[in-house]
Amino acid sequence: MTVQLASILGLWGSYLPSFMRGLVITMEITGLGLAVAVVLGAILAGFKLSKFKALRVIATVYVDIIRSIPVLVLLFLAYYGLGQLGLTLSGIASATAALGAFYAALLCEIFRGGVQGVERGQREAADALGLGRVSGFVRVILPQAVLRILPPSTNQLSNIIKDSSLVVTIGVADLMARSYEASATTFEPMDMFVLAGLIYMALYLVIARAIGRWELNVQRRRG
Amino acid sequence: MSAITLYTGAMLQGAVITLELTAGATVVSLIAGAAGAVGRLYGPRTLKAFIFGYVETIRGLPAILQLFILYFGLTQFGIDVPAYWAAFIWLCLYGTGYAIEIFRAGLQGIPEGQHEATAALGLTRFEAMRRVIIPQAWVAMLPALTNFVVLELKNTTLVYFIGVQDIMFHARLGVSNSGQPLAIYGIAALIYIVLNGTISRVGGILEKRAAIAS
Amino acid sequence: MSSDVVVELDGVRKCFGPRVIFDDVSLSVHRSEVVAVIGPSGAGKSTLIRCINQLNTFEKGVIRVLGHEVYGTEEGRPPLRRDDLRRLRTEIGMVFQTFNLFPHLSVMKNVMLAPQRVKGRSEAEAAAQAQELLEMIGLSHRKDAYPRQLSGGEQQRVAICRALAMEPEVMLFDEPTSMLDPELVGEVLAAIRRLAVDGMTMILVTHEMMFAKEIADTVVVVADGGIAEMGPAKEVLSTPKTERARSFLERVLLHTGGDTGPQAAASEGGFDAASGGFDDPTLSWSREVDEKGLR
Ligand SMILES: Nc1ncnc2c1ncn2[C@@H]1O[C@H](COP(=O)(O)OP(=O)(O)OP(=O)(O)O)[C@@H](O)[C@H]1O
Ligand SMILES: [Mg+2]
Repeated sequence: MTVQLASILGLWGSYLPSFMRGLVITMEITGLGLAVAVVLGAILAGFKLSKFKALRVIATVYVDIIRSIPVLVLLFLAYYGLGQLGLTLSGIASATAALGAFYAALLCEIFRGGVQGVERGQREAADALGLGRVSGFVRVILPQAVLRILPPSTNQLSNIIKDSSLVVTIGVADLMARSYEASATTFEPMDMFVLAGLIYMALYLVIARAIGRWELNVQRRRG
Repeated sequence: MSAITLYTGAMLQGAVITLELTAGATVVSLIAGAAGAVGRLYGPRTLKAFIFGYVETIRGLPAILQLFILYFGLTQFGIDVPAYWAAFIWLCLYGTGYAIEIFRAGLQGIPEGQHEATAALGLTRFEAMRRVIIPQAWVAMLPALTNFVVLELKNTTLVYFIGVQDIMFHARLGVSNSGQPLAIYGIAALIYIVLNGTISRVGGILEKRAAIAS
Repeated sequence: MSSDVVVELDGVRKCFGPRVIFDDVSLSVHRSEVVAVIGPSGAGKSTLIRCINQLNTFEKGVIRVLGHEVYGTEEGRPPLRRDDLRRLRTEIGMVFQTFNLFPHLSVMKNVMLAPQRVKGRSEAEAAAQAQELLEMIGLSHRKDAYPRQLSGGEQQRVAICRALAMEPEVMLFDEPTSMLDPELVGEVLAAIRRLAVDGMTMILVTHEMMFAKEIADTVVVVADGGIAEMGPAKEVLSTPKTERARSFLERVLLHTGGDTGPQAAASEGGFDAASGGFDDPTLSWSREVDEKGLR
């Protein structure tokens, strides 16, 4: 038992540096994908809340279609498909595009719900005070919407982290791919996958905790 | 063009496998998930803790890592699960974790006053669940259940990696033989859009009906 | 326990964690007696009546409801078996502040559910009984509606029917009108008044002092961790003996316009107007209240 444990720990120790380099790539893909998703999601949410019907239709169609395509298919379309059009993307860029496009659709709905959830009365109060549309939104609606938006967005962030592992299929050396390769070279696949799993869990917990703390801070500041 | 029609046909054959896996895993997951949620909410403490741990593990790990653990990982212990069954078992285990959460949230969403009213009337726990709590939770859970089926269907895309001949498997085969990734993955996307769209549509109809009934 | 005592509390203590809500509460409720429980917010009125049907457990003492006995959790007795608990609860009807109707069932089905599932009545029997109860309460024309299509007052009247359908020996009301718009209060009070006239044993937590005075035989003032005062309704409400009861009553009567004088008359007038909206024309409240007064 102890011998076994020691040998597993030894194995883990020797692969940890490689896994950590993989983790950096995982975080890179996650960060880039999230950034694209947030920006695109916010734009789409703006479309959905717009008074122009055309914009609302565009956003609705985008969200409905993209949501029903598996991320893996989007990834292959970005990585292989765009290449056919002469737009060759690297693995990381493809992953950014695929994750960004997909999660923009989900975040759009979260953002829209958060903004609409802030009572209509708040908007009216802002208008009554003579705040313009923009400053009414930025100073009154948005700060309240943030608290509704954060928890479900954290959820999506964790999904992005997990889905970033799909790049194993296009040969990007992220955490998942490194554990897959290591499992083939060591013939100890379970040990390698468990280590990768622990790192994924740790990454998620750290991020969730950080966001949770920020959320609590915001809430506390507002009583 | 003919290559594309050829592989579209193959992908549609793959769709049968995809749907088979989705439907089977959905049924198993929903049954196990309902039982798990009851255990999570009303079971003894150790059971609650175990189910909590299970759900968090399933939700915390990347899907593909879970599949690899089942298919490749277990070989380390001499357990050799055939690809199709590894895929199916994984979809069930994964789905159960998510289904537990859906049922738990659904059951917990019923206000305490409803439980109290059933107790005050002298209904048994079983009757209260059956006549009052579950019929209400069910309506509230329908949107999440629709999403659940869509999620399981999307998950099946990963099983090509271990050699199960689903839509993606044939798509990749077609791409490597024809060199037409845009068209073939585009068609794959279209098939998924139709399948998921149908599921959402059916879910929407059920929701509407449930809303009218109550 | 004398034969016509329906509910009896003996030395009951209730705590939430380390906090004692009330202690050494003793009280007997006789058949056809109407007991109004009043007192400041947070005093434990709801908790007190919820102990009677075990929606809350209690620590010390014993509560008897007809033949059933429930001991406090720290009395060293084995806990009530689940079936006995259910049997106890079928003797007791409860009406909640928030109605708690089952939103997925029609008015009829709300009333029929427990008789069918607990008493094993056939659908036809249950339906006939529900129909009768709804007619009595003036809601038979709404029997196919769903709770959310009803006004608060209508919902509460259905909730009363739902409880009555179990043919309980005693009814508990926890502030049945405090969630209602003022103009809807009258119809619910009218329904409760009718039960009193019909001889139902009732324990009623309420903030409606005028109503308590009119309908209750006994008033119990809960305050400061126990029963501050208890006695015939008219006496307790007009000439409270304890300082605690007096200060509480002074405070509420300030809000309701006082016991006598023009404001009280005005509030009673509004009250009658509201109950006049009650659907059953054969019911004349003032006459029946007089009869009851003679009883
Ligand atoms: N489940 C609970 N856990 C802990 N404390 C509770 C619980 N329920 C009630 N309490 C506390 O017990 C006290 C009595 O509550 P209760 O609801 O019985 O008061 P009440 O007299 O009915 O007041 P109100 O007139 O506002 O309805 C309150 O201080 C309340 O905060
Ligand atoms: Mg109360």
